[in-house]
Order: sequence, then structure tokens, then C-alpha cells
Amino acid sequence: MKNILAKFWKSYSIGVVVVVVGIVLSFLTPRFISLDNLLNVMTNASLVAIMGLGMTLAIASGNFDLSVGSTAALAGCVSFSLVPSIGVTASIAAGLVVGAVVGLINGLIITELRVPAFIATLGMMTIVRGAALIYTDGKDLYLFGQTEYKVLSGTYLFGIPTPILFAVGISLLLGFIVSQTRFGRHILAIGSNFLAAQRSGIPTSRVIWMIFSIVGATAALSGMILSSQVLTANGRLATGIELSAIAVVVLGGTALSGGQSTMVGTLLGALLISMVNNGLNLLNVPIFYQELTVGVLMLGALAVNIGQGFDIRSILRRQA
Amino acid sequence: MEKDNHKKLLEVQKLTRRFPGVLALDQVDFDLYSGEVHAVVGENGAGKSTMINILAGVLQPSGGEVFLDGNPIVFHNPADAQQEGISVIFQEFNLIPHLSVSENIFINREPTRNGMIDWKSMNQRAAEALNRLKIEIDPRVPVSTLSVAEQQLVEIARALAFDARVIVMDEPTAALSEREVDNLLRTVGSLAKDNVGVIYVSHKLEEVFRVADRITILRDGAHILTDAASNLDEEKVIYAMVGRALVHGKCPDRTLGEVVLTVKNLEVEDLVRNVSFELRAGEVLGLAGLMGSGANEVIEALFGLRKAQVDEIKLQGQALAINSPRNAIQSRLGYVPNDRKTAGLLPDLSLKQNISIGILERLRKLFWIDSTREYKVAETYRDKLNVRCSSLDQRISNLSGGNQQKVMLARALAEDCKVLLLAEPTRGVDVGAKAEIYSLIDSLVESGMAVLLQSSELPEIIRLANRVMVFSSGQSRKELTGAELTQESVMALATRV
Repeated sequence: MKNILAKFWKSYSIGVVVVVVGIVLSFLTPRFISLDNLLNVMTNASLVAIMGLGMTLAIASGNFDLSVGSTAALAGCVSFSLVPSIGVTASIAAGLVVGAVVGLINGLIITELRVPAFIATLGMMTIVRGAALIYTDGKDLYLFGQTEYKVLSGTYLFGIPTPILFAVGISLLLGFIVSQTRFGRHILAIGSNFLAAQRSGIPTSRVIWMIFSIVGATAALSGMILSSQVLTANGRLATGIELSAIAVVVLGGTALSGGQSTMVGTLLGALLISMVNNGLNLLNVPIFYQELTVGVLMLGALAVNIGQGFDIRSILRRQA
Repeated sequence: MEKDNHKKLLEVQKLTRRFPGVLALDQVDFDLYSGEVHAVVGENGAGKSTMINILAGVLQPSGGEVFLDGNPIVFHNPADAQQEGISVIFQEFNLIPHLSVSENIFINREPTRNGMIDWKSMNQRAAEALNRLKIEIDPRVPVSTLSVAEQQLVEIARALAFDARVIVMDEPTAALSEREVDNLLRTVGSLAKDNVGVIYVSHKLEEVFRVADRITILRDGAHILTDAASNLDEEKVIYAMVGRALVHGKCPDRTLGEVVLTVKNLEVEDLVRNVSFELRAGEVLGLAGLMGSGANEVIEALFGLRKAQVDEIKLQGQALAINSPRNAIQSRLGYVPNDRKTAGLLPDLSLKQNISIGILERLRKLFWIDSTREYKVAETYRDKLNVRCSSLDQRISNLSGGNQQKVMLARALAEDCKVLLLAEPTRGVDVGAKAEIYSLIDSLVESGMAVLLQSSELPEIIRLANRVMVFSSGQSRKELTGAELTQESVMALATRV
């Protein structure tokens, strides 16, 4: 019985927390439960969730990517600036390509220069941020009269905001890739034991390039959605968002030690943070307290996550 | 042996240590006098390491007692043992590479002045400790710039600086050149003159006879004999080391087929020189040798894990150029690593996924993995190799060592290999599973598989291989088959430097 409970908790803990927090918030402030507000909460969650889903792949492979915020900014700015000349669709595609290329460079630095992902992406975070600022000359970009770009943030399909559709669609796609394809299996193998993965013939470098390209593309999409919401882009877009992106993955239950992943978990993790922020807003809690609360939430999730994925006893046993 | 003016420092009585499924030490008695070098010899798995680890406070005994100066004592942790003057120099050193020699020697006991480290006196005292051992090393250089031999000497200097009365050395010459060995043995001799008791653990008999006053032989966790070195010779020691009732015996008759693998003039860095052999279908060729002899390096080179130069590698008549494991697998070479934990297992993945990881391309359906076929393949090998599990979707880390090892074998077989490269195929596996793996290998070979087997366990090599190349110092010294192939003859060749 204890085992069943433990397993249940491990698989669904984030879902349980989301429901409980939702119920509590509904009682505290009835406005929370209104349809408009819920859609708003989910839209905000989607922004982080989309890059978080890419990040889930990186973390499942035992890596992570600190450059996603900067990538989002660069892709957002490039895409924005191209709209007048090449149109909305092509410029969105261009933004995705920019993101994927930044990701590929991350991957190459990791595999070819043998720099750990932490350092590689930390460096790229600064470099790409610099590139975005140089590209925009530090100014804001506006899209006057090009409201078509709103397609990324506004268009409703059955009344659902596009970012939510993107988040759900990408989670289904990546979830399928991880669990059903060779590439997905390779990601988990690399995250589980890199040396063993290499020795079972997995082309580890190629897999890492692919992972980081996908992370870059999802970051780019987040960045473009963000700028399309306000039809403004600048080099400081999405500053600091990389930590939230990692946090939602961990909150969702993907172990930082690699080897497993849950896309649904990442979605729910993003939803939880968005709900808490929104709830605290509705309750008129000052913004600084919101930051503090989210920080505590992340620490709590990390503590629980490490408790699950990292068993100190097994290490002691190995010593003996 | 009572020695005048040397007193009994350390004694253990009926020391016993049980691990799940293994009795690693079985009521072993042992003692050590001051000013004595007492060698402990035995094969891998004889219980030497377990005994050392108990003396070092790393492991707790399951039974028996340790006496220091005649008083019973219990070491709860390594600090306890060190406090009592017992220093153990393990094969993997406990030095901190970025710190200087003197910092390492005085770690945690740095001399201070006004609350700050007194560098001058620390370096001076370190230099004295090194001088005492006649070692010329600048105490100010970082340990990472030293050779392995020098690092070992620093470890000894540290032990002395800790006022060690008992120094335990575990295979101290495993990574040393001949000249460095001479130097080390001289140092060991001078330690004994200073009235330190030295426990010298090794299976290189030549060295043992050069330094040891007394020799204790362990086998399968039991104490076999203790005697003055002058009463023993190499032959007697080898016999005592391997002279178990040969329960494993020799390999069954093997029917040899065509030549499958030809290797001509293999060279691996400066570790292996001039190795050539042919391997036939239905054959198990054993590569025997102590650690660092080159036997394991041959296997690793063939699997693309080491840079190697070779005149020719041919598999079933086709020339191969192997530069990576991926490449080796595609060339139909299967490999079971000597350390499945670090290099083989994918601990977060299931049993099924661990088997299929190398053949996902073959299991492809459009662009995903055909899970029905994957399950069938895994099922086939689970049954063929008799892997005991509750389900194929079970996480592999929950299986026993023996079953995990069978999965490693299954992975290589699933890749449809023509030659199996096995390195220590039964390391960390209990006796029952060992026997099972042996008969598995037998039946594979019977159906035409060619196996290259590296093992440091002599009985294993004798049990499985119909032909054995014995390595020492990077070269194949001799090939043994038939009646010539005995544990004693292999051991004699392997221990000759």
C-alpha cells in the first residue's frame, strides 16, 4: 500500500498540487475560476512551458541550457525586423531557424570543444544577449500595422489562445519522440549513462546537436510569442526566463540527473507557477512577495525531486 | 614468529565479512609486528581488499576482532583508523591534485601561525618527511604535476607525517615502471627499519619475495597459510594461491571452425606491443595477465576504445578499420565491458530497453520504434539467457548483478555479433550466476560463436578458454593449450616481469 501511494505520488504529485492550489485559490478569490482568467493563466504558462518542453529534452539527456532567454530575444528581434521585407510566415520561420542555429552552436561547443553544458550555455547566454542588443542597436522594434504577427499570440481556435495550442501540441510531439522513437531512446540513454550510451554505439554527438537545436527552436518560438503579444521586441526580451524554464521542468518531475522525462509534468509545472503568480496578483500581494513565493516553490520541488532521483544510501552502498 | 625487541602491533582474530551472497572473509587470523613487512597475497576475490578495508575503517567486520597493542579496538570510520596510526595507501590515491605536495601531506593538520597557515614551516616539515624517505620532490609543486610513482611516495610521506605505525599498501606497484618499483621497495625496507609495520598486498610474487619478512596467503576469503618468506618459494605460494580443489575444471571440448578474426601486429600506445592471433568459430581464446599487462587493453583496442595501430584486422576475411565503439558494433563485434556499472548499464531504462539499445535501427517502423518487435526480441534473449525478472519493463537497476550481466550479454548478442569480446564477464556476480554464465558461454560457442575472453580470474580462464595467451608488460609471452594450460603455468608466466 505504501508502495502504491509512493508511486502514485511520484507520477502525479504535480497534478495533485495543481488541483489543490487551484481549489484553494478559487476559494480565496472567486475571480480566479472565471474562464477568462483561467485562459489568461494558461496562456502565461504556455510561454514558459514551450521553452520548458525543449528544456525537458536537454535535462533528460543530463544537460541543460541557460541560453534560452537570450535565444528567445535574438529570435524575436530577428523575426520582427524581417516582417516588413519577407512577410509574417517567412519571418516566423526565420526566427525558428535562428533559434535552432544558436542551439546547434551550443551542441557543437559541448561535443567538439568538450565544454560542460553549464559553461557552454552560460557563455552563449551572454554572447547571444549581446548579439540581440547589437542587432537592435539597443532600441525597441515596433510592428506598426502588421497585426498579422498576432497570429502567434492572439488567434483563437475554438476560442483557445494559440500559445496554449502550441504548448499542448509540442508536448504531445516531444512526448511521442521521447517515448517512441530511436532519437528519444538515445536521449534517455545518454542521460542515464553517457559512457554506456557511447559504448552501445549511439552517435552521442549528433544526438546532442539535435537536442540543443530543438531547445533553441522552442526558445525562439517562446520569444516570438512574447513579442507578438505586445507587438514590440527588444534585446532585453525574456531576460532571466532561463531559470523559470528549468524550474518548470524540475517542478514537473523530470530528474536533473537525466535518464527520464515527463512532458505533461513540464506543462503542469508551468501551469502551477502561472497559477500561483496569478492568484497572488488577484489577492493583491505585492510583486516582491510573488517572487519569493515562486522561489520557495522551486526549492521545495528540487528538494523533493532530488529525494526521488538521488538515493544517498545507494552511494554509501557503492562505497562498500 | 616472535621477534626479539619487535612487539606485536596489530592482530586480527577470526575476522569475517559477509556481503549479500558472498562470504568475502571467513574467520581470518592475521598479525603484524613492528619493523616487519608482512605480505598478503591471493588471487582477485581472495579477500585481500576486504581485509584492508576493514583495517582502514572503511568496512565493518561481520565477525571477529581487531587488536592494537593487545587491546581490542573497533574502527567506525577511516578517521578512527588514522587516529590510531594505521594508514592505508589505496590503489586510487587520496591526494588532492590541485594542492601542493606539502598541503597534501598536512591536509587537515596545517601548521598555523596567528590563525593563518604557516607556509614556511609546512614546506619545511614536508621537506623533512620527504627527506626521511630519500625522496627528491619539491614540496611546493602541485601533486597533479607528479608521476604516479611520485604521488605514491607522497602518500607514504603523508602516512609518516601522521605518525603511522602501520602502513598498508594495496598493489602499490600496479602502475609503476621497473626503476620506480626498485625505488619503492627500498622505501618499504627503510620504513621497516624505522620500526613501522608494513602490510604489503600484492600478487606480484617477485616483489613480495624481495620485501616481505612473512607471507600470508588468502584464498576465497579463507586464511590458507602464514609463514616466513624464507620458508617459502614462488612455486609453493602459487600452489597455495590457486590450489583449490579445481571445482571449475577445464573447458569442455571445443569444435573449432573457420578462422573468424585475424589480428596482426597490434600496438596500443605504449601499453601493448606486437600482438597477433587468429580466432576461430567455436573457440574461446583467453587473454590472461595481471592489471596493466595489456590483456584488457587488447580487448579495448579491438572495440575502438583505444587508439591502436595494427597491420591487419580481418573479420570473416574482410579487412576492418575500427575507430569507435559504434564502428565496432557495426562491424559485428560485440562487447561486454569489464565494469558494467560505469560503462554498460543504462540504469534509468528498462530491461527491454537495455537489450534493444544497439538495434533500434533494425526495429524501426516508419519513424518510430516497433514496440511489439522490441518486446519480442527482448523476450527471446531473456529466455535464451535465462534472465530472471518480474517484467521486461522493470528498471534494470533493480536486477541482481548476475542478471544485469546477462542483459549486457544479451545486448551484444542482439546486435548479431560474430565475435564476442568479453572483459571480466563475471565480475561482481555471485557464484550461482557465475556457473550459469559459464554454461551460457559454452552453449554460444558450441553454436559457432567466437569469443575473446579477458579475465583476471585464473579459474575462469581455465574453465572457459581452450587456448590462452599470457600477457605481461604489454606483450604476449606465451600461448598455452592442452595439458600445458594450468592455473600454475599461467600464474607463473603472468607474474614474471
